[in-house]
Amino acid sequence: MTTITATPITVLAEETPPPAARRRRRRIRWGTWITLAVISLFGFAPVYWLLVTSLTPSDQVFAFPPTLFPKEVTFAHYATVFGNEAIFVYFRNSVIVSVITAVLSVIVSMYMGYAFSKYRFAGRKSLMYFVLSSQMFPQALLLVTLYLVFAQFGLLNTYLALILSFTTFTLPLCVWMLKGFFDALPDDLIEAARIDGAGPWRIFHSIVLPLAAPGLVAAGLFAFVRGWNDFIFALTLAGPDRQTLPPGLVNTFISEASTSWPALMAASLVVSVPVCIAFILLQRFLVGGITAGAVKG
Amino acid sequence: MTTSRVATPDAAARRTRGAPLSERTFLAFLLLPGIVLLCAIVLYPLIRSLISAFFDENLLYPGMTFVGLQNIIGVLTTEFGPLLTQTLIFTVGATVAPFILGLALALVLNQTFPGQRFLRGAFLIPWLIPGVVVSFLWMWIFDANYGVLNGILLSVGAIDSPIAWLFQTDTARVALIVAKTWNTFPWIMVMLLAALQTVPAELHEAAAMDGAGTVRRFFTVTWPHIRGVAGLVVLLEFIWNFQHFDTIFVLTGGGPAGTTNTFATEVYDTAFKGYDLGHAGALGILWMALLTVLVVVYVWLSERGEKGAHR
Repeated sequence: MTTITATPITVLAEETPPPAARRRRRRIRWGTWITLAVISLFGFAPVYWLLVTSLTPSDQVFAFPPTLFPKEVTFAHYATVFGNEAIFVYFRNSVIVSVITAVLSVIVSMYMGYAFSKYRFAGRKSLMYFVLSSQMFPQALLLVTLYLVFAQFGLLNTYLALILSFTTFTLPLCVWMLKGFFDALPDDLIEAARIDGAGPWRIFHSIVLPLAAPGLVAAGLFAFVRGWNDFIFALTLAGPDRQTLPPGLVNTFISEASTSWPALMAASLVVSVPVCIAFILLQRFLVGGITAGAVKG
Repeated sequence: MTTSRVATPDAAARRTRGAPLSERTFLAFLLLPGIVLLCAIVLYPLIRSLISAFFDENLLYPGMTFVGLQNIIGVLTTEFGPLLTQTLIFTVGATVAPFILGLALALVLNQTFPGQRFLRGAFLIPWLIPGVVVSFLWMWIFDANYGVLNGILLSVGAIDSPIAWLFQTDTARVALIVAKTWNTFPWIMVMLLAALQTVPAELHEAAAMDGAGTVRRFFTVTWPHIRGVAGLVVLLEFIWNFQHFDTIFVLTGGGPAGTTNTFATEVYDTAFKGYDLGHAGALGILWMALLTVLVVVYVWLSERGEKGAHR
C-alpha cells in the first residue's frame, strides 16, 4: 500500500563504505535519476499536452512547429464544451448511471461479500471462482447477446440496461473488497450478538454494516468510476439521449470531418476530473482493495 | 471459545446442517441478487452467443438454422490466423512494455527521496483517466497533420515529412501498444510497489554487507519476494489485453485495412456492423477457448498462492 513509507535499505552499509562500494552507489544514484526522468517524461508529457492544448488559442494549436509553451491562455474551448447541449445531456446521463450503479453495486456486493466471508456452504468455493472469473469473459462477446436480450425486454436505450450491466461487472472487485473488510471483523462479535438473541438480519444490518462503512464507500467509489469510464456498453446499448460521456464524446467529436482537437481535449479533461477526485478521496482504500481483489484471488 | 465459525471443512459441514432455518434463508437472501445478476448479464449471454456459433443467425433476417461446424471451420480457414497474430502482437506488447516500465518505476519509488510520496500519487493519473480519453489524447499526439510527435520530430530533423502513424500497419501497431502502455504501467507500479514493501530490509542490508551489488541483490533478494505478485500481474494483464476493446476501437478502429483488428474488435464489427451473429459466435467460441486456458492458469496460480499464504 502506498501509505507505508519505505525503509532506507542502505543505512547499515553507509557507516564504513569501501571506496568501490561508494563509487558503485553513486552510479546507482545516477541510474535511479535517469530512470525516473525518462519514465516521468513518458508519464507526464501527454498529461501536460492534454492540458496545454485545451488552453491554447486555436490558431496556435494548428501551427508549425507546435507551440509547446503557449504565449496566451484561453478558456474559449471550455466555453464551447459547456455550451454544447448534447454534451450536457451526456454529462447528466453519466452522473445518473454512475451514481445508481454505485449504490446498487454496494448493496449487492455487501450481501454477497458477507456470505463469502462469514458463511461456509456447499459450492462456496466454486461460486467464488465464478464471481472472480466473470470479469475475464470477453465483454464484446457478451454484448452481442446482451443486446438481443435487452431488445427483447424493451430495455435498449434505457438507463436500466446500462446500470444492470455495469453493476454486474463491478461485482468481482467489490465483492472481494468487501469480503476483505468482513474477514477483518472478529467472529466473536457476531457470536456474542447471536447469544444475546439477535437474528442474522439484525446482526448484519445493525452490527456488521456500520463497522464496514469505509469499505462500502470505497466499493461505491470504485463502482462509480467503472460506470463513468465504460465505453463499449454505453456505445451499444444506449441511443444518443441515454448515452454517457465516453461514447458521447466520440459521437460529438470524432465523427466530424475535421476534429476540433482543443475542444476535445477540454472535454477530455472535464470527463477525467470526477474520476481523479473520486480517487483522491479514498486513495487508501482503493489501492488496498485493488491489490487485494486482483492478487489474493 | 466453543464454536468457531471458520476453520475445518468438518466444522463447516456441521454448521450448515445444524443451522436454524432462518440462517439458511438469510444466506439465500445474501447470495441471490448477485447470482441473478451474474447469470442474466454474464452466464446466459455467454452461453447463448456460443450456441450461435453452430447456427446461421443474422440480425437482418429472423430465425436460425443449424449449420454444425460450418461457421467455425469458416473462421478457422480464413481470418483466424491473422487475427490470432494481431491479437498476440497487441497483447504481448501491451503486457511486456508496461511491466518493464512499472517494475523500473516501482524500484525507483521504493527508495526514500523528497517528493517520492507525491510522485506515487501523480503517476496514477494516466491510469485514472477514462480509456476513451487515453485514446483521444494519443490520437491527437499521433495526428498526421498537426500532431505534436510529428512536430517535434520534424523540428529536430529526425524525419523529413510527417508520418501518418495511425495509417500504416507497423506504426499503428506500435502506437496502440504505446497508448495502452501509458494507461497501464501505473497500475503495475502500484501492485509491484505493494509487493516490494514486503521485502524485509534486513535481508538487503545483510546482502549488501556480504558485498552483493544492486543487480545481484535484485535477483537474489528482491525478485524471489515479488515473483508471485509479478506473475499474477502479468497474467492478469495478458488476459485483459487479450480482450481489450476501447483503445483499439477508438484509436485505429482495427485499421489500416484490418491489420490491427483483434478478437474483440472483430467480434464487435461482425455482430454490429455485419449483423452476422453465427460468424461472431464462431469467433467467440475460439476466442473463449484461448481465454479459458489463461483463466485456468490464473485460478490455479492464485489457488497455489493462497495455500502458500496460509501455511
